[in-house]
Amino acid sequence: MSAQKIKAGINLHAILKNLEDLVAFDDDARKLIGNRKMCIRFSVKNGPEAWVKFEKGKCTVGRGKAPKPNVILWFSSCEHLNKMFDGKANPIPLKGFTKLSFLQKEFTQLTKRLEYFLRPENVEKLDEHYIKMNTNFTLTIAAYALPEIALFDERAKFTASHLPDGTLQMEVLPEGPDVYLEIKAGKITAGKGKIAHPDAMMIMKDAHVANDFLNGKTDSFTAIALGDVMIKGQIPILDGINLMLDRVINYVS
Amino acid sequence: MKTYSYNKSHELFKKAAKIIPCGIYGHFSPAPLIPVSDYPFYISKAKDAHFWDVDGNEFIDYMCAYGPVILGYNNPVVESAAEMQRQQANCATAPGEIMVELADELVKTVTIADWAFFAKNGNDATTFSLMIARAKTGRKKIIRLKGGYHGVAPWTQSPDHPGIIFEDAENMLIGEWNNYEVLEDFVTKNPGEIAGIIATPYHHPTFEDNVLPAEGYWKKVEQLCKQEGIVLIIDDVRTGFRLDVRGSNEYFGFKPDLIAFCKAIGNGYPISALVGTKEMKEAASKVFYTGSYWLSAVPMAASLATILEIKENNVPEMLAEKGKKLTGGLQKIAKRHGFNLKVTGHPAMPYLRLTDDPSLMLHQEWCGECTKRGAYFTSHHNWFISAALTDTDIQKTFEIADDAFKTIKKNHPHKS
Repeated sequence: MSAQKIKAGINLHAILKNLEDLVAFDDDARKLIGNRKMCIRFSVKNGPEAWVKFEKGKCTVGRGKAPKPNVILWFSSCEHLNKMFDGKANPIPLKGFTKLSFLQKEFTQLTKRLEYFLRPENVEKLDEHYIKMNTNFTLTIAAYALPEIALFDERAKFTASHLPDGTLQMEVLPEGPDVYLEIKAGKITAGKGKIAHPDAMMIMKDAHVANDFLNGKTDSFTAIALGDVMIKGQIPILDGINLMLDRVINYVS
Repeated sequence: MKTYSYNKSHELFKKAAKIIPCGIYGHFSPAPLIPVSDYPFYISKAKDAHFWDVDGNEFIDYMCAYGPVILGYNNPVVESAAEMQRQQANCATAPGEIMVELADELVKTVTIADWAFFAKNGNDATTFSLMIARAKTGRKKIIRLKGGYHGVAPWTQSPDHPGIIFEDAENMLIGEWNNYEVLEDFVTKNPGEIAGIIATPYHHPTFEDNVLPAEGYWKKVEQLCKQEGIVLIIDDVRTGFRLDVRGSNEYFGFKPDLIAFCKAIGNGYPISALVGTKEMKEAASKVFYTGSYWLSAVPMAASLATILEIKENNVPEMLAEKGKKLTGGLQKIAKRHGFNLKVTGHPAMPYLRLTDDPSLMLHQEWCGECTKRGAYFTSHHNWFISAALTDTDIQKTFEIADDAFKTIKKNHPHKS
C-alpha cells in the first residue's frame, strides 16, 4: 500500500477532523462559518471519502459518502489530495459551482486557521488558547491517524493484528482534551471524550508533555519513568499503540 | 503503616535520563512499574532476601534481580568461592581449571547433559542453541511460541519493534503454548525445513496468567521432534534450578536435546550455559561462538558454588514450600478483604493477579501499595522466591499486604 494512500486517509480522517473543534472552540473560526448550512464531500479516486458539514454554527466531519452534499470536490488520486493539503494543488469541483466563493474564501481561511494551530514553529508567542488548540489537534490527529495506519502501513498492520481487544483512554491533564481508541480484532476506531471503564489509560501530565510525546520528541520509557506520562491497565494495548504512534509521524507533514 | 518516598531515586533518574537512553533500559526500565511513583529506581545495598534503595528504604525482594539471585544477595558460600577464584585469576589469557569442574558438575547434575558450554546471558545460550540446531539439521526454520521470552536478539523480538526488520523473523514460525496441533501443522506444511523448536518448560509470559503444560503435551512434542529430526530446545533461563536441579524438563517428564540456563546458576554472577546431548556435541563444536568474558573464571567459581548449594539444600523443594506459604497466605488475606487473588505458574516463581478488575489497574495499585510499604511486588511479571526468604519476611509481607488491601478497598469500595 502506498504512502500516498495512508497520507490521504490521515489528511481526510485525522487532519480534517479538527475542523469540528476549531469551529467549536475558536471564535475567529466560528465567525467564518456563521450560520451557514453546507455539506462538502471529498472524493478521491481509488482513495478515501469524507465529508464536512456546517450547520447551526457547528462543524461535523465524517467518513464515507455524505448522503446529500452541496459540494463535491473530486481528486484524481491520493497524491492529488495530498498536494492540496500541502497547498500545491486545487480540487476539481464536481458539484456546487455556486458555492465556489465560500470554498475559495471562508473555507480556505478556515483551513489556514487550522494550519496556524498545527504549526507552532511558525508562531512567535504561544498563548494559552494556542497551546490548548494545538494540543487538542495533535491528540486528535494521533488518535484518528491510527486506524488509517493500522489498515495500510505494513509495520502498523502487523502490530494491529497482534493487539489485544480492548479500549484505551488517552487524556491530557488537567482538563483534557481526551480521546479514546477501541480495538477489536485488529481494527481500531477512534473517538473523542471519555469512556467508562477503559482497559488501559495513557495520561499526559500537561499540554507540553502531550505535544512532545505525541510528536515523537520524547521517548516513552523515559516519559513514563519521569511521571510525565502515566500509564495503567492492559499494558500490551499501550505497547502496541505506542509502536503505531511512532509510525504516524512518517505520514503527517 | 508508613509508606516510602523516593526523592533521591527519582532525582537520580532525572540525571540519568539526560545521559543514558531511557534512563534505565531493558527489563529494569521503571515503565511497567505502575504507578512509577510507588517504586524505587536505584538500590544502595542488598543482603539475603532484602535490598535497600538510595533513599534508605528497605524492601523484602520478590523479584531477586528478575531471577538471578536464587540463594539470596551476598550469599557467603558463593561470595567466598568467587573471592577465592578472584585472588587467583578471572579474565585471563586462558580459562581456569574451574571451567572443567563446572562443566563436569553440570553434566553430572542435568540429566540430558553430555556437555556444557558457557557464556554470559540467557540470550547467548538461546541464540547458540538455534545455531546448533541449524548446523545439525542443515535446515533454516525455527518454531517459537507466542509470548515466550528468549532474550533480545532480533530473532526473539516481534518484527514491528524498532530496530527489527521483517527479514529477521523470516525463518521463525510462531506457535501457541499447549497447542500441539499448531506445531504438527507447521511440521506438515514445512517438510524437512524445521531445524528446531524452542520453548520454555512452562508458559510464563508477562501481563498474563502463567500456564503449566497440559497432560501429555511435552511427550507429544518430544516424539514429533524425534520423528521429524527436529532439535528440541528448552529455554530454562528463568526456570532452571528452581523446579528441578536435573533440568525443568525432568519436572515435567520429557527429554530435550538442548537446554539453555542462566539466572539461577550464578546467584548474580554473569554466567549462562547451554547443555546438550552427545548427538548435539559435534554440531556445537562446529559453530564459532564466543565473547570477551565468556571464559572468565570468577563467575564459574560462583556458579559451581551456587549449584552445589542448591543441590545440598534441596533448594527447589524449599522454594516451592516458601512460595506456597506466601501465595496461600496472600490469597487468604485478599479473600478476607473481599478480593480474589489468583496464583498461577510454579510456586517458586508465581504470577499473581487480582481478578476483580480484568484491566489489571486494581492489581497494579495493590502491588504499588505493597511496594511502598516494603514488599517489592511487580504487577506485570512472575515473582521469584529467594531461598533466603524467612518466615519473618513472609509474616511481614502478610502485614504489608493486609494494609495495602485496606487502602485499595477504601479507594475502590465497589470492587471488592
